[in-house]
Amino acid sequence: MGGGAATPHSSSSSSSSSSSSIDSISNNHPSLSSASSSISLPPNTKRSGLSTDLRLGPSISTAHIHHCSSSAPSPRDQRVDWPPIKPLLRSTLTGKADNQRQATNLFVKVYMEGISIGRKLDLFAYSGYDGLVATLSHMFKTTIFCSDPHVGGADHSGKYHILTYEDKEGDWMMVGDVPWEMFLTTVKRLKITRADRC
Amino acid sequence: MAYSFPEEVLEHVFSFIHTDKDRNAISLVCKSWYEVERWSRRRIFIGNCYAVSPGIVIRRFPELRSVALKGKPHFADFNLVPDGWGGNVYPWIAAMAMAYPMLEELRLKRMVVTDESLELISRSFKNFKVLVLSSCEGFSTDGLAAIAANCSGRFSEESRISSFDLLSFATFFLSNQTKRYNRFELKPACEVDIGSPISLIPDFAHHWCPSTFPAWPPRCPSLRTLRLNRAVPLDRLPNLLRRAPQLVELGTGAYSAEHRPEVFSSLAGAFSNCKELKSLSGFWDVVPDYLPAVYPACSGITSLNLSYATIQSPDLIKLVTQCQNLQRLWVLDYIEDSGLDALAASCKDLQELRVFPSEPYDMEGNVALTEQGLVSVSEGCPKLHSVLYFCRQMTNAALVSIAKNRPNMTRFRLCIIEPRTRDYQTLEPLDVGFGAIVEHCKELHRLSLSGLLTDRVFEYIGTHAKKLEMLSVAFAGDGDLGLHHVLSGCKSLRKLEIRDCPFGDKALLANAAKLETMRSLWMSSCSVSFGACKLLGQKMPRLNVEVMDERGRPDSRPESCSVEKLYIYRSVAGPRSDMPRFVWTMKTPS
Repeated sequence: MGGGAATPHSSSSSSSSSSSSIDSISNNHPSLSSASSSISLPPNTKRSGLSTDLRLGPSISTAHIHHCSSSAPSPRDQRVDWPPIKPLLRSTLTGKADNQRQATNLFVKVYMEGISIGRKLDLFAYSGYDGLVATLSHMFKTTIFCSDPHVGGADHSGKYHILTYEDKEGDWMMVGDVPWEMFLTTVKRLKITRADRC
Repeated sequence: MAYSFPEEVLEHVFSFIHTDKDRNAISLVCKSWYEVERWSRRRIFIGNCYAVSPGIVIRRFPELRSVALKGKPHFADFNLVPDGWGGNVYPWIAAMAMAYPMLEELRLKRMVVTDESLELISRSFKNFKVLVLSSCEGFSTDGLAAIAANCSGRFSEESRISSFDLLSFATFFLSNQTKRYNRFELKPACEVDIGSPISLIPDFAHHWCPSTFPAWPPRCPSLRTLRLNRAVPLDRLPNLLRRAPQLVELGTGAYSAEHRPEVFSSLAGAFSNCKELKSLSGFWDVVPDYLPAVYPACSGITSLNLSYATIQSPDLIKLVTQCQNLQRLWVLDYIEDSGLDALAASCKDLQELRVFPSEPYDMEGNVALTEQGLVSVSEGCPKLHSVLYFCRQMTNAALVSIAKNRPNMTRFRLCIIEPRTRDYQTLEPLDVGFGAIVEHCKELHRLSLSGLLTDRVFEYIGTHAKKLEMLSVAFAGDGDLGLHHVLSGCKSLRKLEIRDCPFGDKALLANAAKLETMRSLWMSSCSVSFGACKLLGQKMPRLNVEVMDERGRPDSRPESCSVEKLYIYRSVAGPRSDMPRFVWTMKTPS
């Protein structure tokens, strides 16, 4: 199977497809599949394994296939109509980078001010702040804001809350100031606080 | 006739006649039988929703309880039919809402089903029991919530949900504790359009957590089928299984977790408790270490779907060889020839095998799966009759072996991934191999071809494949003669779908009458001219000849220009009125 990009927090018991992409260079056949996406990155690229790597992947791999493939005059295009497999299988197999991100979790607790029972959310399932805020707005039935003005939860008129998080240093910060990937590395828990407190 | 049976007697006799074919036959006997039959028919299957109109169906069959409809052509599964083509079910629902208030079942395939349609269904049919949506699109969980609130539903695989609000759906469903659900499966596709729907999946998973809803499954001890969302983590599975040990069909969520012995033993215990389990699927993101937890249930398993399980051959072999009663296996080509050998040796009841490509776009791919694997299974499994096999190489000799080993084959679909691939040993086309298939397998009703093929293979097919009902052809043939052989020879042909073949006008026009005996013909990227389409449309009033061309109006180009796509189907409803801007019907001059 095409070697995977490294997964976040790969543990030794994870599936074999999560071997680091450096190893996969020697294991793989030279005509690479699109899944071996981060091979051309320099060996000492920080293996934080977060979505940054995965997003750069496809464009690099296409270039790499240009390089490696000897017989075909042009790189094998990813046609959407051949071979004849159904859309769900197609996107599952070709979206392996996404698969690997979903293989591990980052569950954090979420509390809403005034409610003693909290919820838990897997932050790795989101690609950015807007998904997170949208979910929380639905979950807690309130309009949620963070510091990013473009991101806003669904409008539940009358109620407004602000999304905050506790970072590794124990400080409470407003969500949205740092890039999403960086946020994922420092967030420990979330709190939805009343707007007048901020 | 001196005496004839009173209608009540006829009706009673007809109540024992169930198949469509038989019912159609008795309705042709005489006028009174036609009348009795049409009032007593309760279920109908409409293979092409445009072949007939809702009004015509309702006029003839006033008392239907179960309706099945299919919309888009089969090649829509492979993105060959542009969005907006049609197949909207709403006009049918609206008409049936008035005419069939007692409707119980609706089965839709490849249709566009909007939330509006689902809401109308939930309001209109008081006795509604079964809804099956296969490969449908256009609805969101709002529509599903309306259904869940009012009736038990089955939403089957591959349906694309266009927006998510799983929270409201889950709440709706779970709060409806008085309803008895027999089967619940919700499998969102990876393609979703609006918002961040993937982000809402964990939320759904939360709602399936026993600690949030301790009464899960919501008082339905009759739950037979449960397919979990991929986001439901493995450590939740033991609890779910313990609450539904009577499950017959299970689709796991993500089958991966860090290795923890207590999760493993809990899972293994839960599986050994599921004595009724017959079908397993899911296995997303599978971690091989956890597979042995399934072994206690394997002896009862008859259907195993590992199409999403990206694990290697040794682990696959260990799992598959545990399932001695296996009848159906869907698996990725990671199984390799060695795995198929093991399958052939252990699973003597195997009837259906599907092997999918793990690397559909890779030029080399998994070379350890070859034609030999399929030959082994055909030798070792006497009941094998249905095959879908993706591979990268083939020989005529292998196909001949398979044909001779399995004359009971009914469905044979071979996809050699690189188009026009030759027999790699003799470098010849694969005509002789497929010829052997149609010659030996006299009951073959479905065939998909691939590899390098000349007109000869079509001659074999036309000569031998007398029971063939559906044929799929891609990148094959030399010219019109090939198409002519098929259309003139295959007596039972109902569906023909062709792409990227050099078939042109002559065969089509010469066999125009044949097209009225078939459900449909699809041709894309072939050499059929616009002029021929017009002529066909003029000659055959009971055919809808639809030209699809995204380059613009076909009459803005010379008549000899080939059309992009052509879809021809018989219809008693005349040309349809809901065509998008890229579809034109060739009308008969009035």
